[in-house]
Amino acid sequence: MVLVLPKTTEAVVAVFGCLLAGAVYVPIHPHWPADRIADVVEDCGARVVLEVADGVVQLAGARGESPVRWDDALASPPGTLPSPERRDEDAAVILFTSGSTGRPKGVVLSHRAVAAFVRWSAVEFGIGAAERIVCPSPLGFDLSTFDLFNMALCGATCVLVPENIAWMPRFVVRYAAEKRVTAWYSVPSILSRMLRDGGMGLGICPALRVVLFAGEAISGSDLALLTAAVPGAIRANLYGPTETNVVTFYRVPGQFDGAAPPPIGRACPFAEVLVDESTGELLAGGESLMSGYWNRPEDTAGAFVNRNGRLYYRTGDRVRVDGDGNLVFVGRLDRQVKRHGYRIELGELETALSRNPAILEVGVVATQEQDKGIVITAFIGTGPAGGSLSLLEVKAHCAAALPPYMVPDRVRFVESVPRGTRGKIDYSALEKFARE
Amino acid sequence: MDVKQEIRGYVVEHFLPGGQGLDETTPLISGGVIDSIGMLGLVSFLESRFGIEFMPREVDAHALDNLRMIEAVIERKLAAKQG
Repeated sequence: MVLVLPKTTEAVVAVFGCLLAGAVYVPIHPHWPADRIADVVEDCGARVVLEVADGVVQLAGARGESPVRWDDALASPPGTLPSPERRDEDAAVILFTSGSTGRPKGVVLSHRAVAAFVRWSAVEFGIGAAERIVCPSPLGFDLSTFDLFNMALCGATCVLVPENIAWMPRFVVRYAAEKRVTAWYSVPSILSRMLRDGGMGLGICPALRVVLFAGEAISGSDLALLTAAVPGAIRANLYGPTETNVVTFYRVPGQFDGAAPPPIGRACPFAEVLVDESTGELLAGGESLMSGYWNRPEDTAGAFVNRNGRLYYRTGDRVRVDGDGNLVFVGRLDRQVKRHGYRIELGELETALSRNPAILEVGVVATQEQDKGIVITAFIGTGPAGGSLSLLEVKAHCAAALPPYMVPDRVRFVESVPRGTRGKIDYSALEKFARE
Repeated sequence: MDVKQEIRGYVVEHFLPGGQGLDETTPLISGGVIDSIGMLGLVSFLESRFGIEFMPREVDAHALDNLRMIEAVIERKLAAKQG
């Protein structure tokens, strides 16, 4: 079942309905372009799509059946709940992420994989029935396994941020305070806005006792703000790609100096991590490992590596070990970047841009900037005659084909994209130009 | 203060270097100019720059999707503040 909904009560109910029925849920953000959503629905062979049509939540058959309104479905007598035979290795969820070849990839996570992280998190952070958790990430983000399934496992309360205040840091923080939220889990970009613009830095959420962040590096200054706001709270940096969910973590000590981002820490007990000696790449395995990519056997085969008879996912992240034995993120081995916690394959962006007939060639790079974090710049070759495209048109083209978070920040029009001696795009040169 | 220029200046500085082609009805959110994290920053800027407070119903993609709509919301809030 594909859920094209923001993180609402209906969506959460549908997740548990899917799992109880032995089905797999596939969450997709409604802000995705319609064609991309349709591609995913077709790719994963969904039988039911939960979506909003004309302001009404409805269950639509993906094969032409008449849609059923959510309210009507609730009002009709309950059917007999199926009692499917379910094994731990059966798929629970498929999370679609950016794919380097131009189409999103579906990461298949089993019940075992999701449960491994959730069970550990409950013990590690002492989550119980009194917990009130906010996780302001869409359902399609692996972060959302934390609040949803700790609710199921421990009886914790899942506090959903209403959609109409999600863009207003002040209201989100006020809402979290009113709901006496005790645990927070988000990407650092969102946490930063809550601390700086929403008043969370003023300590107005006194009940907060656990603050977790993942998906990208938190800045030293944001971490310092957080520490000052909730000095007694557990603060932990969780790390792991969608393919493995969380595999390492670092509890930030009270005395953390805040000069640099914290390390990604050590392996969670359910995970196994290795560092490839020649490349420095982090290899991650263990119980939370994905089953594979949906309908992509070749990509799946390429994603894993066998070491000592065990499967590991090649994260593409380069790491080093610091003096305390903690893993520290150094950089990527490929052209994948994280912006605002969202994963972006620059190759997918290039593929989408190259579909515009006015674009003769394109090279996309990401650079780190002091105040803005990751900035994505698209260099567009328009030929010697120059092109008629404007920056707005390029952004609109991207917005029509890709999720909003993948739209490039900057566009530079050039006669031709620089290439090396073998004709390949010279990304080092582009990065240098992007910084100028 | 020129509300229109202030808003336009912020959008150009943060999201649309050069501002070429940006007019009052250019779709900002649906047109891929501002994403959701960018929206958090824009709302905070507007509140602090104009000394106003948004209410929940006022801030979504429908209410702030172009410069004209943003300006109208700001002018309305400023008028209510003075009145």
